Amino acid sequence: MSVGNSLYLVAPEIILSASGLLLLLIGAWGGFKSARLVSILAVTALFASSAVALEFLLNPAFAEGGDAFFGQYRLDKFGSLTKLLIYISAIVSIIIAPRFFDNVAGGRSAVMRPEYPVLIVFAAIGMGMMVSAVDLMTLYIGLELNSLAAYVLASFLRNDERSAEAGLKYFVLGGLASGILLFGMSLLYGFTGTTNFNAINQAFESGLSTGALFGLIFVLAGMAFKISAVPFHMWTPDVYEGAPTPVTTFFATAPKVAALALTMRLAIEAFGSQIAAWQQIIIFIALASIVVGAAGAIGQTNIKRLLAYSSINNVGFILIGLAAANQAGASAMLVYLMIYVAMTLGSFVAVLDLRDADGNQVEEISSLAGLSKSRPGLAAAIAIFMFSLAGIPPLFGFWGKFLVFEAAVQADLILLAALGIAASVIGAFYYLKVIKVMYFDESADVVVKSDSKSHAVIIALCALFVSPLGYLLIPVLGNIADQAAAALFWAL
Amino acid sequence: MLRSGADLPVDSLQGQEGNDLTDLSQYLPILLFLGIALILSAAFVFLPMGVSRLTGTHNPTVNKLTEYECGFPAFEDSRSQFDVRFYLVAILFIIFDLEAAFLFPWAVSLNEIGWTGWVTMMIFLFELIVGFAYAWKLGALDWE
Amino acid sequence: MAIKLIVFLPLLAAIIAGLGNRALGNIPAKVITTGALFVSCALSWPIFLSFLGGDTQAFVVPVLDWVRSGDLNFNWALSVDTLTAVMLVVVTTVSALVHLYSWGYMDEDPDQPRFFAYLSLFTFAMLMLVTADNLVQMFFGWEGVGLASYLLIGFWFKKPSANAAAIKAFVVNRVGDLGFMLGIFGTFLVFGTVSIPEILAAAPAMAGSTIGFLGMRFDTMTILCLLLFIGAMGKSAQLGLHTWLPDAMEGPTPVSALIHAATMVTAGVFMVCRLSPMFETSETALAVVTFVGAATALFAATVGLVQTDIKRVIAYSTCSQLGYMFFATGVGAYGAAMFHLFTHAFFKALLFLGAGSVIHAMHHEQDMRYYGGLKKEIPLTFWAMLAGTLAITGVGIIHIGAIPALGFAGFFSKDAIIEAAYASGTEMGSIAFFVGVTAALLTSFYSWRLMFLTFWGKPRWIESEHIQHSVHKTPETAEDSTGGYHPHESPLTMLIPLGVLAMGAIFAGFVFHHAFIDAEQGAAFWNGSIAFDEHLMHAIHEVPYWVKLSSTFAMLIGLGTAFYMYMRGEGRPQALANQFRGLYQFFFNKWYFDELYDLIFVKPAFWFGRLFWKRGDQQTIDRFGPDGAATLVSYGSKVAGRLQTGYLYSYALVMLLGLVAAITWVMVR
Repeated sequence: MSVGNSLYLVAPEIILSASGLLLLLIGAWGGFKSARLVSILAVTALFASSAVALEFLLNPAFAEGGDAFFGQYRLDKFGSLTKLLIYISAIVSIIIAPRFFDNVAGGRSAVMRPEYPVLIVFAAIGMGMMVSAVDLMTLYIGLELNSLAAYVLASFLRNDERSAEAGLKYFVLGGLASGILLFGMSLLYGFTGTTNFNAINQAFESGLSTGALFGLIFVLAGMAFKISAVPFHMWTPDVYEGAPTPVTTFFATAPKVAALALTMRLAIEAFGSQIAAWQQIIIFIALASIVVGAAGAIGQTNIKRLLAYSSINNVGFILIGLAAANQAGASAMLVYLMIYVAMTLGSFVAVLDLRDADGNQVEEISSLAGLSKSRPGLAAAIAIFMFSLAGIPPLFGFWGKFLVFEAAVQADLILLAALGIAASVIGAFYYLKVIKVMYFDESADVVVKSDSKSHAVIIALCALFVSPLGYLLIPVLGNIADQAAAALFWAL
Repeated sequence: MLRSGADLPVDSLQGQEGNDLTDLSQYLPILLFLGIALILSAAFVFLPMGVSRLTGTHNPTVNKLTEYECGFPAFEDSRSQFDVRFYLVAILFIIFDLEAAFLFPWAVSLNEIGWTGWVTMMIFLFELIVGFAYAWKLGALDWE
Repeated sequence: MAIKLIVFLPLLAAIIAGLGNRALGNIPAKVITTGALFVSCALSWPIFLSFLGGDTQAFVVPVLDWVRSGDLNFNWALSVDTLTAVMLVVVTTVSALVHLYSWGYMDEDPDQPRFFAYLSLFTFAMLMLVTADNLVQMFFGWEGVGLASYLLIGFWFKKPSANAAAIKAFVVNRVGDLGFMLGIFGTFLVFGTVSIPEILAAAPAMAGSTIGFLGMRFDTMTILCLLLFIGAMGKSAQLGLHTWLPDAMEGPTPVSALIHAATMVTAGVFMVCRLSPMFETSETALAVVTFVGAATALFAATVGLVQTDIKRVIAYSTCSQLGYMFFATGVGAYGAAMFHLFTHAFFKALLFLGAGSVIHAMHHEQDMRYYGGLKKEIPLTFWAMLAGTLAITGVGIIHIGAIPALGFAGFFSKDAIIEAAYASGTEMGSIAFFVGVTAALLTSFYSWRLMFLTFWGKPRWIESEHIQHSVHKTPETAEDSTGGYHPHESPLTMLIPLGVLAMGAIFAGFVFHHAFIDAEQGAAFWNGSIAFDEHLMHAIHEVPYWVKLSSTFAMLIGLGTAFYMYMRGEGRPQALANQFRGLYQFFFNKWYFDELYDLIFVKPAFWFGRLFWKRGDQQTIDRFGPDGAATLVSYGSKVAGRLQTGYLYSYALVMLLGLVAAITWVMVR
């Protein structure tokens, strides 16, 4: 395969890389004033990449996909679909940022910096590489590119203690996880003699040596950190709470999608011939994430922290699809991811829209009391997201849960499905608590009206997507997810 | 079980499970070098000490006995404040140092990888230069 | 179509009045429900009269498919035959009059729409019961009237005694209903259908077969009939399952008149008559029915002798009269039973409504000891009550030579039952005859006692707390025992129903006795809708004169005794009560049934209930179920919170421990 062809297949990443470098220079010379221009250009670049990804996804000419750079990178529908989700999340994270940074309390760094969109773009490149990686090398480079950008983003408000703390914690623990991952990769390479997913899979077919098993576990542990699955979740609440809200929005969506997609690809393409080796661990991680996410969320008073636990909880449900280790499970995970991204984007943007009279962000759940009266539209939207996150029909969140449970049942993991359903009841408690506070508690009169049209549009779109109207999209989404999931299983 | 990934293409590694132990002989020169390095470094450390002990006067003071390293006092409260610019410089140094580290294998194998390799490295260098320019413009290189 | 209107108009009215409730207002709700009932009533009489004239054959009007499940198929259908037609006029007439009566009686109640909705709902359920052509629909109506009865007994739900009475009525009825349900299940098991005509057609062929029940072999029909009869006992308050009926008097008096005298409590009699061909196949079952009926007639009459609450006296009287009806069915005189049901509906509703009128006049005082001398104060009520009393005691002259029998309603029906018991010739029938005559004596006594205490003598109103509360002033003279209270005659809405029912109490027996119990005319009238025994009906006329006169004599003795005790001199009842202290207490405490049941059933049931509630539910199911899970979750939430220390090293530790655990797991596995 020629280099030119390879370059063509990585077009989304090339677009983003070139624009990222350019924007960095613009930002350097333009200063704070250029933040708006840089943001617009970054969003444009992300849109361009999305267009390319969409083309790859829908154009029959690319139905088979293709390998680039000598089997280090693969273009397929799975990668293109997840890239689309990542880019959309990145675009939203950039759009909602200026309003937040321009109004940060304290005012010392109270201005949007041009580095923000640039870092998001770099993270997006990394994540694009992650979801397309079919080699441990590409995997690691993509992961680190994303992580390094993320560490900086987490502590973006560097004068804010919580933000700095979030960045530091994320960095240190991320470094630890990265080390674990790297160690696992070296073990895998040592015991199979290759870094290529397919080759690893072939090597595993003849049996699994202890060293390779160690490697497999270490690699999965590293991935579990990125998807914040129990017991590698500890950083999540602190980082989500401390990081600036637009960054949290980004963390809760794009890297989750990328890491989950990468985990799926690893588990299926690289470790697919030794499902028994990792299935039980995934089952445990899934259940633990559901339970710990739900139990941890119950005591929370900060809505960002609550949403952090909610994301842990949802990752658990998504992993049930992985535990099924079949095509239906992979398809269910992808559908769930799409719905999850919409729900999470909507919730965080709604949180971002909560400001008191002084313009400070409102994050305490108790301050939401009476929101149904002061901001009925926003309260209704939050209620929709909460109901959907809780998986209550007829909202769309239910469909995702239904699909993963169905896949689990198909894979004869009936106990897992039953336990998951039972545990989802616990989760419903804290989602409903938010709704109860908004609709039934004595009004706290904290939140004031917001005039942000972009927020309103994003919230409305997300709410529309997760509302029962979303079910109209099931044929389309289901079809795409099925094709993408099938792409994972071609190699086997 | 050791293997050098650097000098063998990935594909040819399959099926070489049998001669794991014989491979070790290839590392003998390194071992020799290691020994020589150890001897030489020990000589550089201990020879001056021995010579000075034998030739000079022995008159220690507190300052003389203090370890001298990186400009810091060796023992003090770890929570002391220091200038973050040290780290900035250090990090920049590491980045460009690694760049140089990449250049060596690239230069050695330039014959094999041809123009594609050359262009790739130029792009890599360009990216580093962009970063360098950014750091420079933002004043990361100015001490004051 | 008329029959559909008859049945569903009350339902429609109940829904409108019930859902409209206060939004609708009192007057519209009352107009709608009462109007619907009068329309139903007006449509019912032509049907009855056409059956009376022999112009109409039985017919079935299908309404809806209900259940299609394997062998179990049945529909909603309205089946009308002579038996149903009789019940239709009884139910709709009494119900319409009670609706009207309630305008006056419930005038000051704040919840009138609800009351009228319940009344109409009851009527609908009762009509569903009597028009059922399969056992399941009958059961639907059966439970529907039970529900309405529960709601109406507990209508004044702020009174604890009313709530207790409602629950008691419901629970005791459940016992009977269980029997009824088992009977239905058994019938379906044996006959493979729940359609009443098909069952009745197949019943004779089943006579003599046996079935395994409770691990033993029994005669099939006996078992089925007895199970069904248990249902009838519960609904009709027969001895053993009668305890709810007196307590049900906690409900408003119109309810007592409609549900607990004229209609619902007669459902058991109706059911036995409806299934009479089934009962005819089992001698044992009939003997049991006779015995229970006779025992109830006697028991309730004895208790009625000594009660002081005017409504309770009438309630026990109802119980006793229902006993008459049952032993009539037991000896095979179904026509006589239905006839007594028919006449009883008029005079007992009359007595209850009259009592209600008295209570209304006496400011909700129900104790007869505080009445007296009301004849002059409320004359119209007095005359109506007198008509009812003459009817229930069976005043009349037997047919001698060319002079036809003349008398009040009860005379014809009750005498027919007593004579039928004698004429049946069975041992049980003879017992029933003597019991019936005795009970007639007692009936006469307590009925006249009620009249004498209420309407004659001197006013004893001053002793009543209710009256004292209402007057708020000291009597003018020390001798004035009225307490300065002036009873007022009830309004017209209450007097009109009294008048209509009085007409029924006076003439219903004379007008209809040929059709109901005459041997030839009866057979034509009933036309196969009940097992009408022509020979028995013939035999009634052949009984000796002393038998025919026995009940009249019994009535006269009862009247004389009551007159002697309550009209001639003070203190005689008290003296008699002191003389027979034990017997008096036994009767006064209703044969200690409530105490006995309390000891045998209620206390153990409460004990069990508490055991299951505290130990079973709270300490086991809740503890390990919902409460336990909730505690576990909140505990887990605390643990999760505590683990979330905020320190990097503990986070890293958890990560590494997780990694080690995973490694250990895959290695050990």
